[in-house]
Amino acid sequence: MSEPRNVKNLKDRINRIEDILASVAAGDMDARIETEIEDDLSGIEAAIDLLIDDLTDELRQREKMQKELETKLKEIQEQQRTIVQQQEDLLELSSPVSKVWDNILILPVIGTLDSQRTQIMMENLLQKIVDTGCTISILDITGVPTVDTQVANHLLKTVTSARLLGAECIISGISPAIAQTIVHLGIDLSTIRTKATLQDAMIYAMKQNKRSDEMKVLSRNALSDEKED
Amino acid sequence: MLELAPDRNFELLGEYAIETEYDIVMARQTVRQFAKKAGMGIVDQTRITTAVSELFRNMYNYAGGGKVLIERGDVESHDALIITCIDHGPGIENLELAMSDGYTSGMGMGYGLPGTKRLVDRFEIQSKINEGTTVRIMKWK
Ligand SMILES: Nc1ncnc2c1ncn2[C@@H]1O[C@H](COP(=O)(O)OP(=O)(O)OP(=O)(O)O)[C@@H](O)[C@H]1O
Ligand SMILES: [Mg+2]
Repeated sequence: MSEPRNVKNLKDRINRIEDILASVAAGDMDARIETEIEDDLSGIEAAIDLLIDDLTDELRQREKMQKELETKLKEIQEQQRTIVQQQEDLLELSSPVSKVWDNILILPVIGTLDSQRTQIMMENLLQKIVDTGCTISILDITGVPTVDTQVANHLLKTVTSARLLGAECIISGISPAIAQTIVHLGIDLSTIRTKATLQDAMIYAMKQNKRSDEMKVLSRNALSDEKED
Repeated sequence: MLELAPDRNFELLGEYAIETEYDIVMARQTVRQFAKKAGMGIVDQTRITTAVSELFRNMYNYAGGGKVLIERGDVESHDALIITCIDHGPGIENLELAMSDGYTSGMGMGYGLPGTKRLVDRFEIQSKINEGTTVRIMKWK
């Protein structure tokens, strides 16, 4: 009578071991056999519990390492971004404002105009207008692939600011595709003087130059005429 | 909510997070590449690129970023590029106002949304206060 009970008991315990192992395999790392009986089988049961402990530790370690790797990866990505940003800044520096002709400034813009770059560009141009006293500046955007409302807004502001400093700012290099797109957006650039190409803008600027020279001569003559009277 | 009916037969070309101005530039270039691959000419490429630029910037400026799905599929027998911008920002209180020319709550020109609508073939917008905004546009040759 006692034999079969014992066997049943053993069977139950082996079933329990199987259950626990299945739970662990399914990812439940809190499962333990935790037997209270002391016999031959309990040694195995305790050993299995120890193995599960080790496994849990190992998994935790792995998770920790994975997290660390992810953080490292993020840092590297961040650095990469900084590098790209610096490259863009370099690009910005490689298109500086230059005085190409008496009284005429040219600023060729290449690449994308995010708000930071536009800010620097605008400040550079305005400062150069003040420093040189040039009254005509050309902002060439042939190298700008996308003109959205924000870029257009910045362009308008630059032109308006230049005007306040007594300089006319011409925008050149608006491609037909971009021109159409601006119109569809609904932005009114009619208050700005625009030219299709940098060359057109240069020709216009030189004509303006000549005109203002003639005006100077005229007004000088007028002044000396007055004196003679 | 804020689920513009997903279309069964669209092929997902890419999914990107918009969190920085750099992301805007990269995703915009990606859209241009897909437009080119779809056989669009320079004018259509410029239109769709500018349109998404507006939507990305809005997510960046008003919603602290968001994500964009780029799909390609058949829309009324057109080979269309479908771009969906999803954010979980503050939402737009008055859609009609936001869609009107010249309205801006900030320092913009107020042409981003209405302009985008004019640049594309289909334009859908959904927004709910405190939940976010979803805009989906479609463009074909
Ligand atoms: N994703 C968004 N989440 C919350 N509010 C938005 C979102 N997009 C647009 N808006 C709101 O709608 C208004 C109109 O947007 P729209 O893009 O037309 O103009 P803008 O961004 O103000 O200026 P612009 O785009 O011309 O530079 C915004 O000022 C803003 O209040
Ligand atoms: Mg906008």
